[in-house]
Amino acid sequence: MADATISGGMPTGREARPVTSGPMLAADGTPLRASLARSLRRQKLRALLLIAPLLLFILVTFVLPIGDMLLRSVQNGIVADTLPRTVAALSQDASEVPGEPVFDALYTDLVIAEEYKRHTQLGTRLNYESGGASSLFRGTGRAVGRFETSIYADQLRDADPAFDDSAQWAAWMADPGNRDALPQTADAYDAWATLTTEVHGDDPAEEDVGDFVYAALYRDLAAGSRPPAMPAVDVSGFETVTAKELFIDDDDAWGEPAIWNTLRAFAPRVTPGYYLNAVDLQMTPDGIAPRAEGDRIYVQLFIRTMVMSMLITASCILLGYPVAYLLASLPMRSANLLMILVLLPFWTSLLVRTSAWKVLLQQQGVINDLLVWVGVIGNDGRLVMINNQTGTIIAMTHILLPFMILPLYSVMKGIPPSFVRAAKSLGANDWTAFWRVYFPQSVPGIGAGSILVFILSIGYYITPELVGGTKGVFISNRIAYHISDSLNWGLAAALGTILLAMVLLLYWAYDKLVGIDNVKLGG
Amino acid sequence: MVQASRDAAFVEFDRVQKSYDGQTLVVKDLNLSIPKGEFLTMLGPSGSGKTTCLMMLAGFETATHGEIRISGRNINDVPPHKRGIGMVFQNYALFPHMSVAENLAFPLEVRKMDRAEREAKVKRALDMVQMGQFANRRPAQLSGGQQQRIALARALVFEPELVLMDEPLGALDKQLREHMQFEIKHIADNLGITVVYVTHDQTEALTMSDRVAVFNDGRIQQLAPPDELYEAPVNSFVAQFIGENNTLEGIVTVMDQNRCVVRLDSGDEIDAKPVNVARVGDRTKVSIRPERVEFNKSRLQPGAHTLRARVEEFIYMGDMFRTRLSVAGNDEFIIKSRNAPDQTRLQPGQEIEIGWLPEDCRALDAA
Amino acid sequence: MALPIYASTGQRLWHYAFRIICGLILFYLIAPLLVIIPLSFNAQDFFTFTPEMLRLDPAGYSLEHYRDFFTNPDWQGPLWNSLAIAPVATLIAVALGTLAAVGLSQAHVPFKGAIMAILISPMIVPLIISAAGMYFFYSRIGLQGTYWGVVLAHAALGIPFVIITVTATLVGFDKSLTRAAASLGAGPARTFRKVQMPLILPGVVSGALFAFITSFDEVVVVLFMGAAGQKTLPWQMFIGLREQISPTILAAATVLIALSVLLLGTLELLRRRSERLRGLTPV
Ligand SMILES: Nc1ncnc2c1ncn2[C@@H]1O[C@H](COP(=O)(O)OP(=O)(O)OP(=O)(O)O)[C@@H](O)[C@H]1O
Ligand SMILES: [Mg+2]
Repeated sequence: MADATISGGMPTGREARPVTSGPMLAADGTPLRASLARSLRRQKLRALLLIAPLLLFILVTFVLPIGDMLLRSVQNGIVADTLPRTVAALSQDASEVPGEPVFDALYTDLVIAEEYKRHTQLGTRLNYESGGASSLFRGTGRAVGRFETSIYADQLRDADPAFDDSAQWAAWMADPGNRDALPQTADAYDAWATLTTEVHGDDPAEEDVGDFVYAALYRDLAAGSRPPAMPAVDVSGFETVTAKELFIDDDDAWGEPAIWNTLRAFAPRVTPGYYLNAVDLQMTPDGIAPRAEGDRIYVQLFIRTMVMSMLITASCILLGYPVAYLLASLPMRSANLLMILVLLPFWTSLLVRTSAWKVLLQQQGVINDLLVWVGVIGNDGRLVMINNQTGTIIAMTHILLPFMILPLYSVMKGIPPSFVRAAKSLGANDWTAFWRVYFPQSVPGIGAGSILVFILSIGYYITPELVGGTKGVFISNRIAYHISDSLNWGLAAALGTILLAMVLLLYWAYDKLVGIDNVKLGG
Repeated sequence: MVQASRDAAFVEFDRVQKSYDGQTLVVKDLNLSIPKGEFLTMLGPSGSGKTTCLMMLAGFETATHGEIRISGRNINDVPPHKRGIGMVFQNYALFPHMSVAENLAFPLEVRKMDRAEREAKVKRALDMVQMGQFANRRPAQLSGGQQQRIALARALVFEPELVLMDEPLGALDKQLREHMQFEIKHIADNLGITVVYVTHDQTEALTMSDRVAVFNDGRIQQLAPPDELYEAPVNSFVAQFIGENNTLEGIVTVMDQNRCVVRLDSGDEIDAKPVNVARVGDRTKVSIRPERVEFNKSRLQPGAHTLRARVEEFIYMGDMFRTRLSVAGNDEFIIKSRNAPDQTRLQPGQEIEIGWLPEDCRALDAA
Repeated sequence: MALPIYASTGQRLWHYAFRIICGLILFYLIAPLLVIIPLSFNAQDFFTFTPEMLRLDPAGYSLEHYRDFFTNPDWQGPLWNSLAIAPVATLIAVALGTLAAVGLSQAHVPFKGAIMAILISPMIVPLIISAAGMYFFYSRIGLQGTYWGVVLAHAALGIPFVIITVTATLVGFDKSLTRAAASLGAGPARTFRKVQMPLILPGVVSGALFAFITSFDEVVVVLFMGAAGQKTLPWQMFIGLREQISPTILAAATVLIALSVLLLGTLELLRRRSERLRGLTPV
């Protein structure tokens, strides 16, 4: 008999198959899947080791920046960072125009912000949401230093000259008992000390303590605090001013609910405000509402971007299909020759092609000259083909056409001619054979090309910027404007995120339809 | 030679399992030991796991479980390039950007051999496969058979002790294949190397090998020298897979040490040699080779069981006659007889009686 | 698609009409480039053909704009900046991209789909968004407005092209070749150098060309990421087109067209070479 060293006796075909229930087990009893994973670990590790450097590189140089942008579109630290005390006080006060404590806090905050020159940034930021905020903060910021709060400093110094001694202040504020008894004073003093060091580069123990610290001390004492290590002062007879009046005197807007609503709306560190703005909505005390008629531009811009991208995609299909068909049906040699006409523009700098169109489409440009020369139009009837939507569509169709032709061509190349021949042998005429047999098979190419062209065109910036004028610009141009001109980065990020979401949706569709690893790059 | 060194296993598979997907086992509990100098063929239908076994031995796939040893050393953790195993690929895998000579010099360069020695070895290897004058050609400028020889020479040029070949002749036409079978066997014998050869061509397996391992369903069904495999298959898979084979189904009614009686489904009784049946009442498939069936009554043993058969078809094949019979409900029953002067030519429709020696009729499993 | 002899008049008519339509479309594709070239030799500062030019009067033509392009520091500075940025960005993209493509082509890569999607994303994400994100982020880490900031950004944008071309070459790569090399005793590094690299080289080089042109043509990201010291040629052209359009742009454009013809030629040669090599591998 055979000396087969087969364990478990004589295997007899099928009945030797292990009868299993539950997960497959390897010979040593561990689940087969685990045992497989163990044996593949080294191979996986090796593959990952090769990929890791690039993955890390892309994550740091590309994905992280995109993520940073996403965060920026909801981040809103500016109110909470610039006016921390006001935000805290506002949360305790629900009235339309808040009461005295909020104004006291605002006074302290604004004095400090003014020193750091941050109040104008805040004003600019809030101005996106509520008109007039910018000038309000600028004006009051200028005035807040001259508010008559100095009376507290004067009266306290009069009551005890020790209050005039900076070194003494420093000692008082280092005492834990005092700090506990005088919370507002401690907080104000700390902020003053920090800004004295940071902004002026001076030693707090030698500089005159700011008026707002004295005001805070007055408030603490008036509230009945008795600091253990500080001369006792009776403040009941002090002359007073109220911050609220001072503010409203300076600008009536502080007495109106509008600015307070805005501050309340943007006090949280995370805000949907930029996104609402990006779709022409805003936050109001009564919830989310549409913006004023004249301010609604983004939805329309998104729609225009989509519509123009669709037009461009459609023209690419219309122009690309016949060419791809011709290339696919010509013999290899002539097809390769004609392919150069497609690939050369593909490889030529985008700016070269855009310049060419600018030169061609101008009113004094080559096409108009030609038309005038031929006599189609008069010299005074020159066509306006640039700085409008026509210009954008003509130039972008030209630029994106190769991205339609190349995938179409590769799909058409894969359709065997025998199908159309079969259809004809079955009695179909050219027309029927094309529409019923050839065209349906080329649809995946149209799909792939269209998504590619649409994805590229929806995010285009350079060409619309140069030949689009004002009517032919895309959402990208608006994003660029907000980054470099208006400096409203949060809104730029929100618009960008919406655009990105649209593109990623299409990317996902493309992956499902074509597969990312099937992207072909001409030739 | 094989017999002498059988104890010293050179290559050993010890309880090896392999799964690609974690759900099904492609190789199930493989145990195999190959002595030095043996020419062992793995034979089996497509998808039975032959290539997988070879790839595990070469180190390109990892066994999910079990050990593979060469000269007693576990090589599971040795990377392929340190195993020193020569390999001939089905598509030859000659490097297209290198000339023939560069292809052959490659393994020698890797081993840091000096130039003179390298050239001498390359020349010797090329001469061995009679390809001396093609040293400077690119692989694409060679015919299939020539590429095959170069692939063989490249696998042998660094003098490995073990050479693996995965269907090396699959892409060649019949004539060239037969020629190369002979040549490979000849070279392997001359060099005394151990060869593990994979094929699904049974003739190739039978003519070239010292032993053949028949694979099916991830298991070795039988491991035996070619004659034994043909004449004494241990189960019905092997019987059907190797050579032509007639089967009849029935139940064992009498069981002796070396003989049993099987009652066929048609009611007839026949003698058989019990191989894969244990007791009376077992269902069995009996297997008879076409050339072992006798219809000339004078040549049968007296008292042997015979069966009635009707001739369905007679085919003239030159050196042989092939006759299709209807026997006991099976109308695909083939018998073969040599074209000798005294041989009878059966006529379709003719009724005859057939029989055989009991030891030629093997009662196997019913699967 | 030759016309059969039995074609009807209608079919004939359509056959020629179709070719004419295709001819017009191809003309639309190529004409803008062809118009720019003669205009760049205009002796005057016009963006259209002067009567002298149309009369083919030599006085209508001059190399004036080329002289300006090659001497004016407004153009030379950007040209050299472009030439300093693009090759380095290409080198980074090719080195990391090829390595990763080899890794991705292996049999067992966990999360392959997700990794691939991330690596291709710089090609899909609109440039303005990449530019915005990079601007914000690189400002934070102090890379905005630096040479390396622009180089890293351009390398990231070029990587998808390297990945795509090299992966495509590797798909057609016969795995038994690397196995053969290993069975002959070559370690992974030598196998890569001696067997895999020479065979995938065409894919690597065409990936490199794509990465190079991506960086060389890129303007959106560099507009945001760069400072005056990193002004590139496309940037200069962009400014030229937006503000005072000077005819030197046409000379610059013609030089760039010449460059793309060169690249296209190289790519075609590579394609032929790789086809020849592939033809060599027995099937
Ligand atoms: N890389 C792989 N991944 C997953 N399954 C695989 C892989 N390679 C082989 N298989 C499966 O393993 C089984 C055995 O394959 P193997 O290649 O070993 O068969 P074979 O006996 O060599 O067949 P053939 O005679 O057709 O070459 C088959 O079912 C096959 O589908
Ligand atoms: Mg196989």
